[in-house]
Amino acid sequence: MTEFSTVGTSVRRRDLVEKVTGSAEYTVDVTMPGMLHAKVVRSDRAHARILSIDATEALAAPDVVAVVTAADLEPLFPRFGHIIADHFILAPDKVRYFGEPVAIVLAETLGAASDAMRLVRVEYEDLPSVMTAAAALAEGAPLVHEQAYDATGDDSFKSLTGKKHTMEFPEAEGARTNVAHEVDLEWGDVDAARAGAHLVVESTVHYPMLYAYGMEPYNAVASYVDGALSVVSSAQHPYMVRDDLARIFDLPLSRVRVSTPYIGGGYGSKSYTKVEPLASVASWMVGRPVKLVLSVEEAIYTTRVDTADIHVRSSFDAEGHILAREIDIVMDSGAYADNSPLVLAKCVNRSFGPYRVPNLRVRGRSLYTNTAPASSYRGFGAPQGNFAAETNLDQAAEQLGLDGAEIRRRNLVRHGEAILPGKRGIDADLLADLEIAASSLERDRKDTPYYGMGVSCSASDAGAYPISTAQVRIQFDGSVIVFSGSTEMGQGSQSLLSQVAAEELGVDLGVVSVVQSDTSVTPYERTTGASRTSTLVGLALQRACADARTRIRDMAAEIWSCTPDEVIDLPGAVQGPEGAKLAYGEVVRKWFGGTAGEVTGIGLLRREGVTQEMPPFWETGMVGVAVEVDPETGVVTVDQLVTVADIGFAINPQAVEGQDLGAATQGLGGALYEELVYDGPQLANANMVDYRVPRVTDMPRKIDLVLAERRDGIGPYGAKGAGEGQLNPIGGAVAAAVARAVGRWPNRLPLTPERVWRLLNDLEDSDPPA
Amino acid sequence: MLPPFRLARPKTLDEALDAIGEDQVPYCGGTELLLAMGAGLHRPDVLVDVKRLPELAGIRLDGNDLVIGATERHDRVAEHPLVREHVPMLAAVERAVGNARVRNQGSIGGNLCFAEPKSDVGTALIAFQAVATLVSPGGRRALSVEEFIAGPYYSAKEPDELLVDVRIPLGGPEVRAEYVKYQIMERPTLGVAIAHEPETGACRVVVGAVGEVPAVWTFAAPDEIDADTIASEVDPTPDLTGSERYKRHVTGVYVRRAVDALMSRGS
Repeated sequence: MTEFSTVGTSVRRRDLVEKVTGSAEYTVDVTMPGMLHAKVVRSDRAHARILSIDATEALAAPDVVAVVTAADLEPLFPRFGHIIADHFILAPDKVRYFGEPVAIVLAETLGAASDAMRLVRVEYEDLPSVMTAAAALAEGAPLVHEQAYDATGDDSFKSLTGKKHTMEFPEAEGARTNVAHEVDLEWGDVDAARAGAHLVVESTVHYPMLYAYGMEPYNAVASYVDGALSVVSSAQHPYMVRDDLARIFDLPLSRVRVSTPYIGGGYGSKSYTKVEPLASVASWMVGRPVKLVLSVEEAIYTTRVDTADIHVRSSFDAEGHILAREIDIVMDSGAYADNSPLVLAKCVNRSFGPYRVPNLRVRGRSLYTNTAPASSYRGFGAPQGNFAAETNLDQAAEQLGLDGAEIRRRNLVRHGEAILPGKRGIDADLLADLEIAASSLERDRKDTPYYGMGVSCSASDAGAYPISTAQVRIQFDGSVIVFSGSTEMGQGSQSLLSQVAAEELGVDLGVVSVVQSDTSVTPYERTTGASRTSTLVGLALQRACADARTRIRDMAAEIWSCTPDEVIDLPGAVQGPEGAKLAYGEVVRKWFGGTAGEVTGIGLLRREGVTQEMPPFWETGMVGVAVEVDPETGVVTVDQLVTVADIGFAINPQAVEGQDLGAATQGLGGALYEELVYDGPQLANANMVDYRVPRVTDMPRKIDLVLAERRDGIGPYGAKGAGEGQLNPIGGAVAAAVARAVGRWPNRLPLTPERVWRLLNDLEDSDPPA
Repeated sequence: MLPPFRLARPKTLDEALDAIGEDQVPYCGGTELLLAMGAGLHRPDVLVDVKRLPELAGIRLDGNDLVIGATERHDRVAEHPLVREHVPMLAAVERAVGNARVRNQGSIGGNLCFAEPKSDVGTALIAFQAVATLVSPGGRRALSVEEFIAGPYYSAKEPDELLVDVRIPLGGPEVRAEYVKYQIMERPTLGVAIAHEPETGACRVVVGAVGEVPAVWTFAAPDEIDADTIASEVDPTPDLTGSERYKRHVTGVYVRRAVDALMSRGS
């Protein structure tokens, strides 16, 4: 309890008061002098050749300054994409999805831009479209992309997908198809194992098209002046966006500045480049700053979640041990790759579960379709794959006469065991976590009809690539500023980094400030995703603090005319020979010789030492769900939610609980309510009235958020990442609970009332046309 | 972004009647109108703000009628003592309309004039046999709310007319009434209102939100209410909350639930 002074405590969030009072700055609040407003002219069809764009009338409208089209981007590299640069900033010759940007209207006011947007005439010739993965796979299907694009060759991306993988980016030669990427993973001999199995269970599920709703839609303000670009945006990964922008304009990285104020919810949807190129090329065109703020509808058409159709075949022995798993994953990734190749790779890795699987064959394919581009979503492919395989496991349990906890007990990997060959063994005790979840559920089991429970678990090879840097600057009054490229998107990193710095330097939390996410100011941070901040930024920051302490000791030794090894660390101070003591501020002032100066400590992290082995940590999910179904309407009420966070050490316990409840609730959204529905070329519900996210009234009656702290992570104080783990297994847990309540296994999410009612009454998914 | 428009703010009924027309539309809370304008579905030249007209405001008793001014907001109707005393079912309905912002901003009259199919208010008022009062330069006319809600997004109000108020007849012993709704999204999938007149025993069952307009059935007594018949006779609009078959099914479920609620409430 007294081991630590600051970490391990639920300190009040740094951003609490300013966010509650509305004084916190978000990108939408940022203005630049002489700024123009942009509105985007978007495709109103799924797939069509652009015959002409006539901006005459729009340009004649009051206060309109310019209309930018693909033709204007000739001198630039007109595409972006951090894995494959296939994403046209503005559609050049054809549009590939409804909502794709075709032109940008720039005007002195937002109203003028909005009015003139309607005056841009685009003439199209419709092309046949592919609106689903199945249609895209069909023989002779129309091609979404006729050409191939070079991969950007990001080494760290390749190593994130794993050595055992083969990762195919189909080549230009030969017959092109709509398969954007393929990932295969295989070991053992699945055919032989299946042939000798006691039980083989097959199941197919569909994971719905989702939108990672954050309250803040994508927005950016950009200024291109004199060969330098400055962008403020809602980007989770400002450094990654910087790299894309530098490629577009062929600028040195030092001439591109991307900064991110607070983000109003990311959940993966704001990872990688979104609207920044649009605002930037517009500013480059006219030489004035440009502000672009999307509506929610536009944001939904900018990035949604990959759908998945997944077939699972699992083989078991008579005791319920897994002998083999075969999994086939087909994702609908929309018109452009964005991060879907990585989502697919992670879906493959995470699909078969944290179990002993002696024989495995997973095939993953990601399809281009004429729908909105898909990309990262909290969990990175895990929610899709996990739902499919966990449902399959629960069906096997039923056939074997085991309960959901027991079949997992018999198959879970033990602490330290490998899930992926050649990767770090699992640094979590899932068996113990399972007992916690199962007993919590059982304790409050209700003896009512149409009541069902499910436990489900997941383990994700965290996509947190260990490249991180951090700085601390100790001021001459002893106060401390932490610099990190990590973004604060509501997860509480500002508080967490303050706590780590205060702990490491032995100073009061109140004298620590944190400056984040500005590529020209704060040190490099690869991304803010994959639950990396506590672990990786935490380690970098610990090293920065140690570096600062070393410098302070060296300076004190000079002051005291002794050797550095005669100086020892005290909290916020150093002690020299004969008990002499100096606080940090005194050391700085004495060494510089005035009320001035500061000391900078630098922390660097790369793949070596504790972070050599990949992944740096496993992010696990362990959830229990109990539901009650109204048999007359099919409405599902969540009676219990249990989460067990195997996080090693909670630097801020309340923040971890908040992340877990948030992740689980978002999971409940996708499991019970949320689904984007295409009706012809466009979405029927690209708005927050008809796309239903969870509400406070949907919250489970009982919520039990358990933190399992075993200090077994490589992060500071034994910490591991948290933030997405509890979303991943929710779909499987809900599906199992509903199946046990109604007596039939669902094959898709979300389990809307009608779907559950049909399941209960053994009706087809839909009725034949009258 | 809203398309451009002019705003007129008349202070008297005559000024207001002068100001309205085909492209000069009455504007009160704006919770439906401004959304339609923002979506580009409606581009009126002038919004005529009717919030300053005393004739359109207030909740009072007038003889045997409870009169609710057209510009009264949902939350005020929900909390008003006369409404709570005489038609508690309507108070309960208004307390659960839309969301807090809609209740605080939207008016009962605007709700009826917009004739949004997924409305609770019209369904409840039809159960009480409420009457709408319309005024035009040519004079006044009264129309049952049932007739007033002529179609989806289509009320019987002419462009030169204003809805002044809604009158709920009270005469005689208190009508027992119940409203249940099935709501899984932002708007109701289904609303069932039942009004039971203790003197005659007659029951009016109104089913709203499920189809284009509220539909009405009458039965001689509560125990004669035939949920299956109603379910077979509704004309559901399939949408993201349910297919025709499902909506027909839950109509039956909710009619039975409304009857049960009415019976368990007693008199």
